[in-house]
Amino acid sequence: MTSHDVSHGSNGPISTPAPSSGAPSSGAPAQLSPLRRFLLTNEFGLILLIVLFAVLFAVTTRGFTTPFSLFTLGRSAAVNIMIGLSMMAVIVTGGLSLAVGAIGVCAAMFLGYLIQSLGMPWPLAILAAIAMGAALGFINGFAVVRTGLHSFIITLATMSIFFGVMVFLTRAEAFRGLPPVFADFGKMKFATYFSPLLLVTLAAALGLGWLYRYSVLGREMLAAGARPEAAELSGIRVGRMIIYCHMLSGALAALAALMLVARNGAAIPSMAGQLGQDWLLPAFLGPVLGGTLLNGGRAAVLGTCLGAFLVTMLSSGLLLMRVGEFWVQSFLGLLLLLAVLMDKLRRSYLARRNLV
Amino acid sequence: MDVTPIFEAKNIVKTFPGVRALKGVSLSLLPGSVHALLGENGAGKSTLIKVITGVHRQTSGQLLLNGEEVSFGSTHDAVAKGIGVVHQERNLIPRFSVAENIHLEQLANSWLRPVNYTALNQSARRWLEELNLDIDPAMPVSDLSVAQMQLVEIAKALSLQSRVLLLDEPTASLTSSEAANLFTILRRLRDNGASLVFVSHKLEEVVEICDRVTVLRDGDNATESRPMAGLGRQDLVQMMIGRAESGGTWRKRDSAAQPVVLQLKDLATSVGHKDISMNVRKGEIVGLYGLVGAGRSELAKAIMGRFRVTSGTVEVAGQTARITSVADAIHKYRLGYVSEDRKTEGLILPHSVLANAGVPIWRKLSGFLGGLRDSTVRRAVSPYLEKLEVKTPSLAQTVGNLSGGNQQKISVAKWLAAGVQLLIVDEPSVGIDIKTKAYLHDLLRELADSGTSVIVISSDMPEIIALADRIVVMNDYRIQGEVANIGTYDTMSQAIMGLIHRDPHRAQVA
Repeated sequence: MTSHDVSHGSNGPISTPAPSSGAPSSGAPAQLSPLRRFLLTNEFGLILLIVLFAVLFAVTTRGFTTPFSLFTLGRSAAVNIMIGLSMMAVIVTGGLSLAVGAIGVCAAMFLGYLIQSLGMPWPLAILAAIAMGAALGFINGFAVVRTGLHSFIITLATMSIFFGVMVFLTRAEAFRGLPPVFADFGKMKFATYFSPLLLVTLAAALGLGWLYRYSVLGREMLAAGARPEAAELSGIRVGRMIIYCHMLSGALAALAALMLVARNGAAIPSMAGQLGQDWLLPAFLGPVLGGTLLNGGRAAVLGTCLGAFLVTMLSSGLLLMRVGEFWVQSFLGLLLLLAVLMDKLRRSYLARRNLV
Repeated sequence: MDVTPIFEAKNIVKTFPGVRALKGVSLSLLPGSVHALLGENGAGKSTLIKVITGVHRQTSGQLLLNGEEVSFGSTHDAVAKGIGVVHQERNLIPRFSVAENIHLEQLANSWLRPVNYTALNQSARRWLEELNLDIDPAMPVSDLSVAQMQLVEIAKALSLQSRVLLLDEPTASLTSSEAANLFTILRRLRDNGASLVFVSHKLEEVVEICDRVTVLRDGDNATESRPMAGLGRQDLVQMMIGRAESGGTWRKRDSAAQPVVLQLKDLATSVGHKDISMNVRKGEIVGLYGLVGAGRSELAKAIMGRFRVTSGTVEVAGQTARITSVADAIHKYRLGYVSEDRKTEGLILPHSVLANAGVPIWRKLSGFLGGLRDSTVRRAVSPYLEKLEVKTPSLAQTVGNLSGGNQQKISVAKWLAAGVQLLIVDEPSVGIDIKTKAYLHDLLRELADSGTSVIVISSDMPEIIALADRIVVMNDYRIQGEVANIGTYDTMSQAIMGLIHRDPHRAQVA
């Protein structure tokens, strides 16, 4: 897994000989040991919280540590992490996408249509559904780049359009005749505790980690997101990068929806709520808790995974504690605010101590 | 001394973890005086200003206002005590009107009372008149020129009853006539009893306007509050860098026999250029002079493919070039552009030194599936970062944390690493100190000697006369003419000013 801060090209414990003699200038941050540096990261804070709450739930609730409960926790976490990564891919550009849920549902329904109505073999249909997600992402990206409007407006519009067209075409009917391979995959367990969906998510996360850290494409996406004008003048085709980011987000949203199809054994129009809005909270919670900068230019893949995992664990733990569903929602909203506040404090602490 | 200081800083020490930025610095300001605060980047000027204006609190030492010790918990406290500052970065809200910006502090104090715009505009007009600024107070700030914004900031500081006014590089983005106007105003404020602190890298200006001077070097006073009388430019440099100024001066270079690398023929662009014809030979340094707003940076960006060319031709190395994007300009035609605006256009500030220096060559260095390792990039860019003596604790350092001079070196290094055949350098010495400036000049000459063509865009006439082989003068998005540089300031400046004021309709390229 990639380290916490992939935007910085070269970072972490790699020590580089300073290319020149002379003391660092007065504005330069103090040097920290890699360990202390890690202890000050978002990721470490998240791990701490995860352990803390895990212990709390294990002690106070009955059933949190049962194999089945851990299995469903992992399965939900796999989907939520994927949703978070899908949002992260767009936040990297300094924008956002309200349409991740709508895109996901459209892709899932497209899969159902291809298999059930056209009789397409399921592996092909999966690829086609992911391509559908990317294509809807392309529409978002293209509109954002061409109009110069903020992605908030564009995706607010496309969210309704995508969802509306999907409902019209499917008549809001679910595709329940999918081959058993989906449901089987959703129910499958390995090592009694784990859902193979976690592997899909792990693969996606590793792929993204590689993308942002070790590939030109990912680096160009980050550069385009951080300072579009500077990136453009350095030879990066910023518009194209923004479109790619939206396409990547769409593909990941489709993947998340396909995982839900596996869990449900069917493609259901309401699987992400009205207009796909049920996805929005987990979509933003993961990246924001994980330390992805909302102004773009930084992708925290590991952080997003940890953040989304924490959120999933909290909701399922709270439900086990028999806290009402509505309280869980309120709690998650509160958590989002708290996380942003904490991060702001952490950053200003680091900046004041010249540690950034 | 028969005048008592209005403001004093005594033995100010300011430490940051690991760094002792100020090691006991003193400064005393007299009313009715313009006080120069000089020093290289990193000497502690900005830290001292931040202590005086309440951004930082000193670790030890005293601040005295009219002989009484004061302590500023925030910038607000300092403002309330009559200490105003005009920062190098613009601090105006673009969409707000001039009057609203001037009275922002007062507006913020009464957030429920409706704003009386008539009174607001009237009071703003008073301050604007004080500064000979003939603009409508109701106009949004975004419609003003840079020089006008600068004056609005000063008006804002004055409206807060500032008795001490710190000006951090106020002329950095002004033309010489705008600067002259600013100086007239500063002199009048001085004569009315204000105490001004003037921070600038342009020593000619300092000698011209200031009557007292404090020089900082490595967090210490090299000179404390002495009269300027009897000091020349060279003395100031000596105090700032601890030795006499080095760095080459203009020398004659001949590239007439070299092939033409860039040729523009009757170019017109979507941003309004007309009839632009000029050429640059291999290994030649061409200066592009003009006042701010003459369309020089825009021309550079049009050459780089950022703005559309609507008619005329661009030839690179004898071949007609169709440059539709900056990526084309860089990768196909090996052109590079160092922007004057390092912070938004030149560098990706939140990213590392390594990431910034490598951007233009990422594609070239990438391997299987577009994969790219840091070690590959490091191997490619380190030699250039070392050659330019970029001072950074590590290549992983965030560029935004480095000094202006080092940032500028990185934005040049990235093009050296990219191996460009033509480098356009826009205002190379804005916001960097004398040592780095001399160094950059040497570097550009050296670069040209080794066969790279260079276009230097500058509003700083001494700079362009020190560097260029040939000077092309622009005004109002047209070329006014060009002159061969003979390196003597008086002759050249007259020739250049003559071209600028030439009737545009008769302007022809020589």
